[in-house]
Amino acid sequence: MATDVLVIGGGIVGMVTATELARSGAQVTLIDAEINAGSTANAGSLHVQMQSRFMRLYPDQVPAIEASLPTYRAAAQEWERLEAEIGSVELVRKGGLMLAEDAAQLAFLEQKAAREARHGLQVELLDRPALDKIAPWLGPQIIGAELCHNEGKVNPLAANLRLRAAAEALGVTRVRDRITALAVAGRVEAHGVTGTYRADRAVVAASWGAGALLRDHGLTVPTQAEPLHMNITEPCAARIDQLIQHAERSITLKQFRSGQIVIGGGWPARDCGQARVPAVEMGSLLGNVALAARLVPAIAHVRVIRSWAGMNTTIDGASVLGPLPATDRIILAVPGDAGYTLGPLIGKWAAGCVLGTVERERIARFSPSRFAA
Amino acid sequence: MSAGSFLFAGRPVPCRDGQSLAAALTEAGERAFRTTPNDQRRGMFCGMGVCQDCLVTVDGIPNRRACMTMSEDGQRVEMQVAYPVLEDIPPATTSPGAARILEPDVAIIGGGAAGLSAAIAARAAGAEVVVLDERKVGGGQYYKQSASHKPLDAQQAEGRDLLARARQSGAEIIGAVEVWGAFDGPLFLADAAGAALIVRPRCAIVATGAYERPRMVPGWTLPGVMTTGAAQTLWRSYRSLPGARVAVCGSGPLNAQVALELAAGGAEVALVGEAARAPWRAPWVALRALTADPGLVLKGLAMMRDLRRRGIPLRHETTLQAVRAQGTELCATFRGSSGVTTEVTVDALCMNDGFEPQNEILRLLGAEMRYDADVGHLRCTRDARMRTSVRSVFAVGDCAGLGGAPAARVEGTIAGRAAAAEAGYGDGYDLFAEERQLARHRRFQSSLWRLHNARPAPAETLARDTILCRCEEITLGDVMDGLQDSPGDLGTLKRATRVGMGRCQGRYCGPVAARLVAERTGKAVEDLSFFAPRVPVKPVSIAAILAAQEALGDGD
Repeated sequence: MATDVLVIGGGIVGMVTATELARSGAQVTLIDAEINAGSTANAGSLHVQMQSRFMRLYPDQVPAIEASLPTYRAAAQEWERLEAEIGSVELVRKGGLMLAEDAAQLAFLEQKAAREARHGLQVELLDRPALDKIAPWLGPQIIGAELCHNEGKVNPLAANLRLRAAAEALGVTRVRDRITALAVAGRVEAHGVTGTYRADRAVVAASWGAGALLRDHGLTVPTQAEPLHMNITEPCAARIDQLIQHAERSITLKQFRSGQIVIGGGWPARDCGQARVPAVEMGSLLGNVALAARLVPAIAHVRVIRSWAGMNTTIDGASVLGPLPATDRIILAVPGDAGYTLGPLIGKWAAGCVLGTVERERIARFSPSRFAA
Repeated sequence: MSAGSFLFAGRPVPCRDGQSLAAALTEAGERAFRTTPNDQRRGMFCGMGVCQDCLVTVDGIPNRRACMTMSEDGQRVEMQVAYPVLEDIPPATTSPGAARILEPDVAIIGGGAAGLSAAIAARAAGAEVVVLDERKVGGGQYYKQSASHKPLDAQQAEGRDLLARARQSGAEIIGAVEVWGAFDGPLFLADAAGAALIVRPRCAIVATGAYERPRMVPGWTLPGVMTTGAAQTLWRSYRSLPGARVAVCGSGPLNAQVALELAAGGAEVALVGEAARAPWRAPWVALRALTADPGLVLKGLAMMRDLRRRGIPLRHETTLQAVRAQGTELCATFRGSSGVTTEVTVDALCMNDGFEPQNEILRLLGAEMRYDADVGHLRCTRDARMRTSVRSVFAVGDCAGLGGAPAARVEGTIAGRAAAAEAGYGDGYDLFAEERQLARHRRFQSSLWRLHNARPAPAETLARDTILCRCEEITLGDVMDGLQDSPGDLGTLKRATRVGMGRCQGRYCGPVAARLVAERTGKAVEDLSFFAPRVPVKPVSIAAILAAQEALGDGD
C-alpha cells in the first residue's frame, strides 16, 4: 500500500495529525493497532498546572515540565480551536482546583502558583469562603485551593468519535494493523503484522509503542507504558464544574455532561501484556475512590458502576516532536505527561513538521535528537 | 404478619412485613418507578437486582433497587429522577455496622440450589463455611423462598428444607450481602447494608446462578414488562401478582410453570407464547428427554394438561413482536407460525427466552471460559470436581453455564466436598453416585433445551428501533450504525455507541452486541468477545468502597 504520509498510531495525536495533513491535500493512511491506546481509555482531564502526583513521582522531570507550562496553556487553548472545527467534544473550561488540607500543602500550592504565574498561567489561591462559592460540596477539612483558570475537561469518547469522523470525511484511510518495523530506503517502508506500507513520510504517534520502532534509527526514546486506574459513577445532577486535584495525593475528579463523575488521577493498574487490557488493582480502586469520598463527601451515596485501566505514556516529562536526526522522512510525535491534553497541539505541530509550516524554533526544545545514541 | 404503609410519590401504599418495595408497589398498581434521561418511564424488569431499572429514592437516598429493598412502614419513596441532586442527599443517619473480615475454609458466593448444597457438603466434611447471598432470604432463583409465607408447593418446600439443612449444618449464611469485588487470592469485597465485608477464604465456590434472557422487541422496556422470573418472585416470595391479567412468552419450561402459578394465585393468563415447535413435532428429542428423566417429562406433560384445564392458551411457534402502552395497560403483538398476528391486552407481560449465566466473578478471577453456541453463552471450564482453571476457585450451578437446578444441587455437593478436601477436611470421597446423577441431569437438560429454543434469536431480525441497551437507551439501529463506522471489537463499539456503559454493565445488550461484532468481523465468539470483566460486578456506593478501604487500610 502506498500513500503520501503514513501516520502510525490512531490516538489523539495521530488523528489530529492525519486530519491536518489531509486538509492540506495530502493522501494519508493512518495505521492503528487498536491495542491499549491511551486515548481510548483517557478520562478527559485538561491538565495545565503542574500535577503534584507527577512532581512527587518524577522529581527529575519537573524542570522539563515547568519549562513546558506555556505549551500546556496553549494546548488547552488548542482544544477550543479543535472543538470549533470538529463539533462538540463537551469542552468545559471552568478551571481546575488543587486542594489543600493543611497549611503546609497550602504553602506548597502558593509556591507552585507563583512559579506557574511566571510562565503565564492564570492561577489564584482561594481560601475556604472563596471555595464555598464555587465548590460548596468539598469536605470540611479543605482549607484552600489553587485555581488554575486554564484547566478544563472534555469527553474523550466524543472527541475521539468526532476526530475519527472528521478524518474519514477528509479521505484519511484507516487500517487496523500493528507496525513492527520501520525502514527508510528512499521512501519509508513500514512493516506490519498483516501488511507493508510505503510512503514519502511517516509520523510516529504511537505513544508507548514508539520507542521500540525507533531503536533501529539510532534513537533510544524511553517511552514507558504506565497502566492507570479510573472509575466512573452513575449520573447525578451537574454540580462539579472544575477539574479537582489534590496538593499531595493522587486524584482527579470531574463530572461529565452525562452527569457521571469520573475519578482517576494516576493510581496504578496491572499490565497484562499487549493482548489484554490492564487489570484493576484492589488497592488502587479502594484508595482512589476512598480519597474521592473524603474530599467530596456529597458523593457518598452515588454508586460506582465501572472501573477500567488504560495506558499513560511517560518519557522524560517533555514532549518529543520533530524529524529524526538520521532522516527527516520520519517524524516522531509523542506528547509528554498528560498526553491527551497535549494531543491536539502536538498533532498540529507534527503535521506542520511534514508540511514545513511549523516554526522550527518553536519546537526545537522537543527535538528527538536529545535521545540520539 | 404485620402490615403497614409507605408513601410513594406522596400516595400511601400498603405493605406487608418482608415484602419488597417492588412487590408492594406492583400490588398497588404502581408500575413506573423512575424516569430515564430521555424521559422514558421504567419499572421492575428482572426482579433480582440485575437490570437496575427499578430504581427509586428511599428516604432521600437515590438509586435504591425496589426489587431488592424491603418495604418498611413509614418509608418515603419517590420516583427516581434521572439526575439526583447531590446536595439533596442526606448524610447517612444511622451508622453502618462494623466491618468484618472473614477467613473461612470455604466461602460460597450465592445461596441457591448449588450454593446451599455445597455448604452442606463442605460442612459435613468439617470445613468452616460462609455463604454470601444477595437476598435477605436464601434459596436462590429456583427455590424462591418467602420470608413470611408457608411453601406453596413441593418445589418451594424442597427449597425450605435445603435452606434449613444448610442452616443446621453450621454454615454461616449471610443474607442481603452484595459481593461487588473479586480479586486474586481469592479475596471478595462485599457490602452488607453499608458495612464492609471482606472474605479471604482458602477455597471459594462461585454459585451465582443465572439471570433471564429477554425477548427484545420494541416496547420491552415499558413498565409492566418483566421477566417471567420476576413475576414468579412477586408471587412466590411476596404473594403479589404482577397484574390482574397477564401474558407470558419466550421459550422454555419456566414460562408455562409461572403461567400456572400466577393463574393459581388468581391472575387471568391471556396467553402463553412459546417460540419453539410443539414437542410432538420433535418426537425424537422428546423421547431422549423421557429416557433421561421420565419424572421431569411427566411434570412437563402435567403442566400442559393443567394449562388446558385452566383454559390458558399455550401457542407454540408464537413469538412476541412488539409491546405498546395503552392507557395503564400493555398491548402485546404476537406472530404465530402461519404468520397471523394476534394482540392481547394485559396489565403485565412476562418474558423469558432462556438464561444467561452470572459469570462476572468467574471471569473477573480469570477462569477459563468457552462459548457454547447451542445455548448462546459462555461455559466455565471445570474438571470433574468443579474446579475452574483458577487455583482454589470452584464453579457450580448455572453460573458455569446453564444446567438446571437438579444438576446444580449435585454439582454443589461435589464441589463442597472437593473444596473441603482442598482446605484439609476429608479426602478423596467416592463421588461416583453423584457423578452418575449429574450425567443424567445433563442429558435431560440438553434434550430439554433442544425442545425449546435455547439458541438466542438472531438480532438482525429485530426492528431497528428496538432498544438493545436499556440503561443508555441505545437502539439496535444505533449499534448497527456503530458497527458500520467502527468494526473491530466490542470495546470499540461500546465507546462508539455507549452500548453497555450503563448501570446493568451490559448484562442484556452485551451478549447480543458481542454476537453482532463476531458476525461482522467473521470471528468466532469467545470469552474475549464479551465486555471485559471489571470491578465492581454490580454498582456499589462510594460509601461502601470507603468502608472497605477503611477496613483493609489498603490503598492509603
